Amino acid sequence: MKHESIHKDLIFYLDNELPEEKRTAIENHLEGCADCRSFLVFIKEEMQIIEKEKNPEASPYFFARLYARLDERPEFMPQGLWIRLAQPAFFSMLLIAGIYGGLRLGSNASSGIINQEPASTIQLMNDFEAEPIESFLLDEL
Amino acid sequence: MDESELIKGIQQGDRKAFRLLVETYQRMVVNTCFGIVHSMADAEDLAQDVFLEIFRTAGNFRGDSKISTWLYRIATNRSLNFVRNKKRKGFFQSLEETFTGGKNRNSEISENRSDQPDHNITDSQRKDLLHRAIDQLPEKQRIAFTLNKYEDLPYQQIAEIMEISLASVESLIHRAKKNLQEQLLDCYKKKCV
Ligand SMILES: [Zn+2]
Repeated sequence: MKHESIHKDLIFYLDNELPEEKRTAIENHLEGCADCRSFLVFIKEEMQIIEKEKNPEASPYFFARLYARLDERPEFMPQGLWIRLAQPAFFSMLLIAGIYGGLRLGSNASSGIINQEPASTIQLMNDFEAEPIESFLLDEL
Repeated sequence: MDESELIKGIQQGDRKAFRLLVETYQRMVVNTCFGIVHSMADAEDLAQDVFLEIFRTAGNFRGDSKISTWLYRIATNRSLNFVRNKKRKGFFQSLEETFTGGKNRNSEISENRSDQPDHNITDSQRKDLLHRAIDQLPEKQRIAFTLNKYEDLPYQQIAEIMEISLASVESLIHRAKKNLQEQLLDCYKKKCV
């Protein structure tokens, strides 16, 4: 077996993922080849880094920092909760605004209608009389 | 408290439920982020972002998958985004250093290393090499490999998290190992460590 074909299978050999036949062939080659053995050690040590470094110990302040961030930003309130709180508030305000607007409109109608609105209506009517729509259309032609 | 009760609690803004979620999944989320970003400080920051996102969007959780699946997805997405941004920043930083003649970061690292005892040099160089090799993997291979090697997840669970077929996971992990081996062999031949 060539060194190159051994090299490209060693990572799978380490992970026990090769069929029995291939495995035996590699072991036979390794017995007589120092260079392939040396690369096997190299790649094994590299892959063992993962086993050594994984699941690192978290900082004891993880919770404290997380809660501080949770409190400093109100947008971290759950979205569902926002909607549940904001919706009734929004509709109450809409209702109040509606009632207030209605009251204002009502009081305007009773007091302002005599003073202002007739004047503007007359103005508008006069404009129409001064410039009839027919003559406006004729001008365009 | 089962998963649906836990989520319901978080949806209602219950801090106790949230704390229970964090306590249960903290190790898992930090470790997943760590496998991709290779720094404990960054992994913890990202894990916090993941939990804050969960707290904020618990209302969107459909409940048709496990909480862990949801957490793995957010953790891997955020970690990949972080690495992408860092890469972009690093590119512009090196560009800036080229034009302004700024301090070379590599020389800083080697200066620090010279103070450390011999066995540490080898260990940290080994780590560097492995991390660089993992970073070179295409993103999908990197996620599948990290979930398999750092989190020891079976292929079926990785398939659910990544929403791909079992055969795709097998292929991704196989190609990831092949790529890593090639890079390690290249370094071995050139005696780069
Ligand atoms: Zn050989």
